[in-house]
Amino acid sequence: MMTMILRRLASLPIILLVVYTITLTLAWAVPGNPLENPEKRPKPEVIEQMKKQYNLDSFPRFYVSYLSSVTGFEYAKDWISGELEREQEAAAQAGFPPAPRPVFDLGPSLEYDDWTVNEIVGSALPVSITLGAAAILIALVVGVSAGVIGAVKPNSASDLFTLTIAMIGISLPSFVIGTALLLVFAVLIPLFPVGGWGGPMKAVLPAVTLSLPFAAYIARLTRMGMIESLGADYIRTARAKGASENAVLYKHALKNAFLPVLSFLGPAAALAMTGSFVIEQVFTIPGMGQHFVNGVQNKDLFLIMGVVLIFATMLILFNLIVDVLYRWVDPRIA
Amino acid sequence: MSRMLIPVAVLVALVALSVFGDRPLPRADLTFINSSEVNTLDPQRMSWMHDLRTARLLYEGLVKNNVLSDDFEITPGVAESWELSEDARTYTFHFRDDAKWSNGEPVTAHDFVYSWRRAMLPDLVSDYVAMFMNIDGASEFYDWRQSQLDGFSDREFANDSERRQAAFALWEETKSRFNETVGMLAVDDRTLVVTLERPVPYFLELCAFTVFAPVYEPLVAQYERPDPTTGRLVRRPGWTKGGVLISNGPFELTEWRFKRDMRMDQNPHYWDRESIAIRSVSIPSISDPNAGVLAYQTGSIDWISDVTSPYRGDMVAQKLAFLNEHKEQVEALKAQGYDQFSITRQLPQDPRAHTHAVSSFGTYFYNFNCKPRLPDGRNNPFADARVRRAFAMCIDKPAIAKQIRRLGEPSAHTLIPPGSIGGYTSPKGLPNIGDAADEAERQEIIEQAKALLKEADFPDDFVVELAFNKDAGHDLIGQAIAKSWQQSLGVETQLSQKEIKLFREDLKNKQYMTARAGWFGDYGDPTTFLDINHSKDGNNDRAYNNPVYDKLLEDAGNELDPSKRMAMLSEAERILIEEDVPLVPIFFYATIYMFDAHKLTGLSTHPRTKQNAFLIDMLGDGIGPDLPRPMNPERINTGAPTP
Repeated sequence: MMTMILRRLASLPIILLVVYTITLTLAWAVPGNPLENPEKRPKPEVIEQMKKQYNLDSFPRFYVSYLSSVTGFEYAKDWISGELEREQEAAAQAGFPPAPRPVFDLGPSLEYDDWTVNEIVGSALPVSITLGAAAILIALVVGVSAGVIGAVKPNSASDLFTLTIAMIGISLPSFVIGTALLLVFAVLIPLFPVGGWGGPMKAVLPAVTLSLPFAAYIARLTRMGMIESLGADYIRTARAKGASENAVLYKHALKNAFLPVLSFLGPAAALAMTGSFVIEQVFTIPGMGQHFVNGVQNKDLFLIMGVVLIFATMLILFNLIVDVLYRWVDPRIA
Repeated sequence: MSRMLIPVAVLVALVALSVFGDRPLPRADLTFINSSEVNTLDPQRMSWMHDLRTARLLYEGLVKNNVLSDDFEITPGVAESWELSEDARTYTFHFRDDAKWSNGEPVTAHDFVYSWRRAMLPDLVSDYVAMFMNIDGASEFYDWRQSQLDGFSDREFANDSERRQAAFALWEETKSRFNETVGMLAVDDRTLVVTLERPVPYFLELCAFTVFAPVYEPLVAQYERPDPTTGRLVRRPGWTKGGVLISNGPFELTEWRFKRDMRMDQNPHYWDRESIAIRSVSIPSISDPNAGVLAYQTGSIDWISDVTSPYRGDMVAQKLAFLNEHKEQVEALKAQGYDQFSITRQLPQDPRAHTHAVSSFGTYFYNFNCKPRLPDGRNNPFADARVRRAFAMCIDKPAIAKQIRRLGEPSAHTLIPPGSIGGYTSPKGLPNIGDAADEAERQEIIEQAKALLKEADFPDDFVVELAFNKDAGHDLIGQAIAKSWQQSLGVETQLSQKEIKLFREDLKNKQYMTARAGWFGDYGDPTTFLDINHSKDGNNDRAYNNPVYDKLLEDAGNELDPSKRMAMLSEAERILIEEDVPLVPIFFYATIYMFDAHKLTGLSTHPRTKQNAFLIDMLGDGIGPDLPRPMNPERINTGAPTP
């Protein structure tokens, strides 16, 4: 297992480099000028200098400089060569106080003057991870129970009912479900606040909305897996030796039926935790999802690259975690 | 299976910890929302209206506008008095001795010199740098600094250390250069002398503009230093954060969480704190228009400063229906001189009454590209003013305002909203088919337009291209204009919808034929609208170039007699919208507010839509005088209502 983990970790930088190259090429090609202001325009020569400062005037230069500051290479280089110290010393002599430099520098946001991409990601990522984790938990509980109910009595009324709910969960877009939940549980029956973030009450509605499609999918996976394993020989054996129905269901059948759910959880968790633009809009949540969309719209190159790289890293790591769990839960897979 | 429960338990613990550990702040005395997240709290960098509105809570300039008066009168701010020299070029400001920063330090004349110098640096890319060029020597200083920076990155240096030293040396030289060339002098801590390049009648208006507000040098200077590569002074974000920012206005910033919320508490050192009737302000970041309205309806927000939900037209219609139900009382209150908010306050409580449409200091218009050739090299028929006039006359403006916008906005015949600037008389504008009293008059206008096209040899089967950005219902307006032109002039129009960034880039490079635009005035003078049509102005997207127009603006700049000056500017606007028509005004913007007038007071109904939110008093909350704050209280006739 250790070799598997090491091998996967070793491939991480290569995958990220490919993601970086493709995304930057695409983002670079987006038309429009990120330094363009809404109404009042800086003079052309000022724009030229700003471009130079951010290396926006040359693709290869930007490619290399951003890569080296994101990976911490730039920092390490300056640190080893003593440049970091010299820089601060010279500044101090000229009367400038020390300016702390982040090791992994995702750059400035071109759109939001007062924030660096490090700060933006730092404030948005915990929110998205919390919300995503809560949604995945809800999806697990709801999905697995619905799947088991359906599998115990296939094609019964309760099966059809959970099936219908699952279909709704998969097919209705989240802005419809989210708005409906808001109208019912926040406006008509004021149980929950309308939006925002902070405290458990504000997290309930968005977490439920975010969980629904995942819950529906998990329910389908569990039901299929359960029906298959309930027909298997070892279940007949378990029943024959007199195990209780609950033990048969949860100890024997579910254990095997759960494996496909587990492998689904990796990409699902990454997807849920990197934020959803729609849910963030509807419930006013300061998460990551909006930055994917706004970053591209504003051609905020640093923000686009920041969020894409974070997302890619999370996706790879979650898949790795799931694979590790997989082996841990079921030692037969080696 | 039990093994699986361990990671689940870890996940549960993680979520619980994060959710329960993140408690919201207690409710503030005033909670309001802007239409989008504040971009910056650096006064010299701002240009967005919501940034300025928010910053007015935190910063105070030399003077401020009394937004609750019709003439937006200038009242003392940090300066308690000032005088203007004989030649109208030198202002001397005397600072009050109790003007303090939020850390208790006095606000000095040096703070203003430092802050305005920041704005005059090309390095900072202030959107309003042009306003500072009114100060003597400012443009010379700007050009000098720019020329020094231009060659810097190409200069050869032996090593990084030398390059760095050169950047620092250039910065030192820049500072002394500023002191030598620019007409700003801090005579002592409490006296500031500002010399202007030429008389600027609206200079105090500029001083009331937040971009002219001071920043605290000991804080801000820590975050700025010259970049060795380009020599430019680069700013590191950080000083505008909650608990870090030091400001001199009624409030201090306690917390700013990106895209989440902002919280301010009263500045304990503010000189005029007695007059403030709210102790804390909270500004949650709600960018979804529906979410904002829902949050208001559930009572978690006191004021929406810009309702943009798609159904706001219906909200405005319902408000009108409500006012109609109380027509007599409304008319009587109007006759007594009450503003629209005060009228609503005196009517019975009703959810429909919470919507308020207020006129804005902004105009929606369409640009004509005036260059002789189109981007594809063909002759540009719109280079001919007669063609532009003809097309301008044949846009049904009232239909756009009434049927598409539905916010009670007046259709526009001038660029400057009439009545928004004291002492200024607006020209009449071109006849418009939408204003025709009957079909015959309409036909007559159309015939005039057709005659103009014929005179100008407007090519047959020419397809006009009309460009707009793809949000906020610009497409519907574009379609309406296309329909107007098709029906009246028989001209085909091709609509071209673009992403905002691309659209702006095309405008700047004049890669269009006709295109939508809008402009909001920044200060109370006609030049705030007229300057953008000067042939040399950076915002002249129309490539409009009329030496007569330019000369009128320049002459007005040198005119000392206010009424003569206004007449010159009025003539300039007349040329702009009646003769040359590089742009067609369509309608004047309205802003939609949501608040309960029975609970909240202190907002202005002035057409310049500048709100000083620190004037707000929440009625009945036991803080402050809890009395209504109407517009022009001295004018309200307290006699019996007229029937």
